[in-house]
Amino acid sequence: MMTLLRTLRPVVALFYVERRGMLMAGALLAAVTVLAGIALLGLSGWFITATAIAGLSSAAAIAFDVFAPAAAIRFLALSRTAARYGERLATHDATLGVLAGLRERLFRSWSQPRLARDLQRRPAKLLFRLTADIDALDSLYLRVLVPLAVALSTVLAVTVALGLMHPLLGLGAGFWLLATGLGIPLAAARLSQAPSRRRAHALETLRSRTIDLVAGQTDLVMVGQLAAQQKAVTAADRRLAQSDDAMNRIETIVNAGFGASSAILLGGTLFAVAALANAGAISGPVAALGLLIAFAALEPFAGLRRGAVELGRTLLAARRIGPSLTPAAPLAPVNPAKDELAVQLVKVTVRHERAPLPSLHDLSLSVAQGERVALIGSSGAGKSTVLGLITGELAVQEGRAEARPATLLTQRTELFQDTLRDNLRLAAPTAGDAQLLGSIAQAGLADLVAALPAGLDTMLGEGGHGLSGGQARRLALARLLLRDTPLWLLDEPTEGLDGETARDVLRRLARLMHGRTVIIATHIRREAAIANRLVILEHGRIVAAHSRGTQDFDTALAALRPD
Amino acid sequence: MGPAADASSRTLHAEADLAAEQDALGENAETTRPKSAMRDTAKARKLPIDRKAAILQMSAALLWLPQAGLLAIAVGQIVAGNALRSIFWLSIAVVAIGILRALFDAAGTRRAFIAARHVVSERREQAIAALSLRSPLDIGRPASGLAASVLAEQAEAVLPYLARFRPIRLKATLVPVAILLCVLPISWVAAFVLLISAPLIPLFMALIGWRAKAASEKQLVEMGSMNAFLLDRLRGLATLRSFEAVEMTAQRLRANAESLRVRTMAVLRIAFLSSAVLELFAALGVAMVAVYVGFHLLGHLDFGAWGKRLSLAEGLFILLLAPAFFEPLRELASVWHDRAAGEAALAALVDLANADGTILGAEAAGRVLQRSREKATDVRIDELSFRHAGSASFVFENTNLHVRPGERVALLGPSGSGKSTLLALIAGLASFEDGSIQIDGEPLGQTTAAALRRQMIWIGQRPHIFAGSISDNISLGRQAVGSAAVDAALQFAKLQHVANARGDAQIGEGGSGLSGGEILRLALARAAVDPHGRLIIADEPTAHLDFATANDITERLLRLSAGKTLIVATHDPILASRFDRIITMSQDVNSREAA
Repeated sequence: MMTLLRTLRPVVALFYVERRGMLMAGALLAAVTVLAGIALLGLSGWFITATAIAGLSSAAAIAFDVFAPAAAIRFLALSRTAARYGERLATHDATLGVLAGLRERLFRSWSQPRLARDLQRRPAKLLFRLTADIDALDSLYLRVLVPLAVALSTVLAVTVALGLMHPLLGLGAGFWLLATGLGIPLAAARLSQAPSRRRAHALETLRSRTIDLVAGQTDLVMVGQLAAQQKAVTAADRRLAQSDDAMNRIETIVNAGFGASSAILLGGTLFAVAALANAGAISGPVAALGLLIAFAALEPFAGLRRGAVELGRTLLAARRIGPSLTPAAPLAPVNPAKDELAVQLVKVTVRHERAPLPSLHDLSLSVAQGERVALIGSSGAGKSTVLGLITGELAVQEGRAEARPATLLTQRTELFQDTLRDNLRLAAPTAGDAQLLGSIAQAGLADLVAALPAGLDTMLGEGGHGLSGGQARRLALARLLLRDTPLWLLDEPTEGLDGETARDVLRRLARLMHGRTVIIATHIRREAAIANRLVILEHGRIVAAHSRGTQDFDTALAALRPD
Repeated sequence: MGPAADASSRTLHAEADLAAEQDALGENAETTRPKSAMRDTAKARKLPIDRKAAILQMSAALLWLPQAGLLAIAVGQIVAGNALRSIFWLSIAVVAIGILRALFDAAGTRRAFIAARHVVSERREQAIAALSLRSPLDIGRPASGLAASVLAEQAEAVLPYLARFRPIRLKATLVPVAILLCVLPISWVAAFVLLISAPLIPLFMALIGWRAKAASEKQLVEMGSMNAFLLDRLRGLATLRSFEAVEMTAQRLRANAESLRVRTMAVLRIAFLSSAVLELFAALGVAMVAVYVGFHLLGHLDFGAWGKRLSLAEGLFILLLAPAFFEPLRELASVWHDRAAGEAALAALVDLANADGTILGAEAAGRVLQRSREKATDVRIDELSFRHAGSASFVFENTNLHVRPGERVALLGPSGSGKSTLLALIAGLASFEDGSIQIDGEPLGQTTAAALRRQMIWIGQRPHIFAGSISDNISLGRQAVGSAAVDAALQFAKLQHVANARGDAQIGEGGSGLSGGEILRLALARAAVDPHGRLIIADEPTAHLDFATANDITERLLRLSAGKTLIVATHDPILASRFDRIITMSQDVNSREAA
């Protein structure tokens, strides 16, 4: 119970900070809806019984005040409707508000370097998991918190109403509601923790095995393992079915438990009000009132069922996401480089978490201002780590790193589902259209943009979908131009482009990089060719460095991948 | 489908009457879907509903009738001042029936769930089977990400549709009718009140919801796009960080979500009116019944009970049935969206399997071919014709080619010249229109392909990296490949140091963290552990590698091919020059003059 509260605390705290008023209003209105429903039935039962008694004698029938109860019944019917409408609006408004806050916080925390690196390693898996987690947390309010508030107010209302007939009846009914109405879901939440966790894992396995089946089809069929992989996917579904089944069994038991509990409450109340009426403590109509209250009392608890069974999933999500809801410490800025240097690394060693070998080993590198350096090596040699040190994404563990402000052109063109304008303005938030169009022209995209009917307002698809690889790369180049930093870091700037496009992009780059310091991480000849110094990395060490004009420079260049 | 299915589809027709207007609404969405999806939706409707489950759940709902009767009688006795003893037995009966109801409902729910979950598994399995046989040359073959999200997440929507929505829809059709029939003999006025308010509910829901529904569905899509926005930005984090645009993007994210909230709420204010109407009529139905019965009992409204005066028990009985009359309709409203999602998921699963061509020869089928293991493979292609599904132009037309046992051949040509297609055809990864491919004299076809593939070794241009460690990725689950063989293959491919550094750790998605050369070495190691291979097929193995690595890989490939036949596709003339024979694709092969 305590760990449960501890796990949920950051999430509930976020809810509380984001939309306190609406959250409370939603829960309150939900309670009013339910209570009005109970009161409507109770009052109707009282009314019918009372009129039946009064109707026995015509004098009593005439004296009976029909209008107050009839009006009250209509009032309850209308207020139930109004409260229900208000509840739905308030809870949805609150959920949407929380949703906004949750996503903003998550985005901020995932932008920390460590999480961002994990994300780069397994984007599909982590993003799927993140979406599933967010959905699980979204339902915390609607499926757990609101029903809980409703259930508690029902317990209170029933206890008071029946308690006025006889204190013991009220206390007994209240205790019964607490014990079964909350006890059953709590037990269910406990029991379903393991299956709902298993379910989440099984779903991830089903996904990743399906990806392997489809993407690895040729490799599998050629080694005769296609059927085996098919079986593996089916096995994942079977595990999913098992946990589905376990959870459904629990949910069904909860439901049946509520049904039985309701029947016992109903039967018990019937006998109790009969005994009270028999003893003259209450009248017949009041007995009917009590009975109908008991009839309606357990219905609100049914709302807890889904939330209880899925609580395990919600907790899993809270455990994974909760810690990242607290804001992270900002990155320490990189020390500025001194004198005529743009970058200075002195005896730097960097070791990534969980990696058996250091990524950089006692590495020293100085780059003068205006120099163009190509870092050469296969992936894993440490090129990206060096770039990370310069941008300040990686902290130096041993040694010293100094650099001037830098902008990184990432290896994969990263464009966003947004307008052209806003994609560009990431680099220069205050830039006007003229400046944007200027950089577009320099990047060689003027014709394309001029031909677009919506111009800069054209929406790009997810990840820049809708542009060819070359166009996307040029757009990234235009964005780079908008950012006036003295140092550019280019991570394989033409990877994945065909030869002709690549050479055009490189020509433009070479023209525009004038007056700046440039470091290119690459293993392709055409990219390295625009540098005036080649620095060759292997296993986190610099094994050679050649300046333009030497024989070694040309030999090293010639050994690189042609296109 | 058998008679049982027919019977259930008839029941479904009855159900459809109730939801007629909602069907009318739904049709809009259906006409926009492609034709195949519509056919599949029709198929989905014919899915059998577990009748025992439906009967159990219905009985549970109907057991409320005797329970309510007993309660009403009991109150009548309380007012009449009867002895506690008789009421005690009534209480016991109320409890007993209540527990019976709970048990019936539980049994019905379980049955419905089990049947529905079975359908989900079955549909998944069908989709998996069909998907795994779709030819890699089939252009419509879905990307792995799409396939995974349909098969894993989207298919989940089938379960609530079958297990929850359909039983509830049946209940919502029949239970109110049964209750109405119970009320009618007691009081036609009360029955009339219920009868009027019930059809009004869907009517008003339709009237109000007509436009709001479409709008709110659009909003739901937009809410989904909120997640898409977050994921889209997370994918480009490196750029955002480099441009110091994290803060700006976070604010953008918040502002977008806020404006989405405002817009959504504007729509929901109208959309929720329809559910408010449902609530209103349910509440007013109960209130009107109560007020009518009360006034009637007082003698103010002296009609409606077929000329008699209702007793207290009869009046209470009617009152207790009123909420039960509306309950199934409310339940139906709360699961309404399950239907669209479920049907869309069923259609998407079928679409996954809509192949435009399959690979030849499923694994289990096919006969075993007896042949000596030592000899290298002979490949003969006669008058081969192939074009992609739906395409008018041939990739190959009456093409001939003969590769002799032990020969090492390079297929040379620019990209798009059909090198990869030819290799895929030799491997039986697609069916061809005309002509024949003979492997060691055995024609490649549905019955022989699986067995013939056993002697082939495939090295793709971009080998897939499976979720697992390096050694998992080499053995690929093959029984015959032990850890000693894996170690030897690692040694052969010069991948030992990478394997040592990583141990049993999982490789990142798509081989992230491995260089292009390392991925190719992995494929080489996969090839080296194959004990049956006598024909190596390699598709541009060195396309993206630097000189030194490319040379080394080629060297090892040639070494591996000792005693085997080797066919390599490449666009690199220098690489091609190291083989026994060069076949230039555009000239030699397509002009029917290949050796």
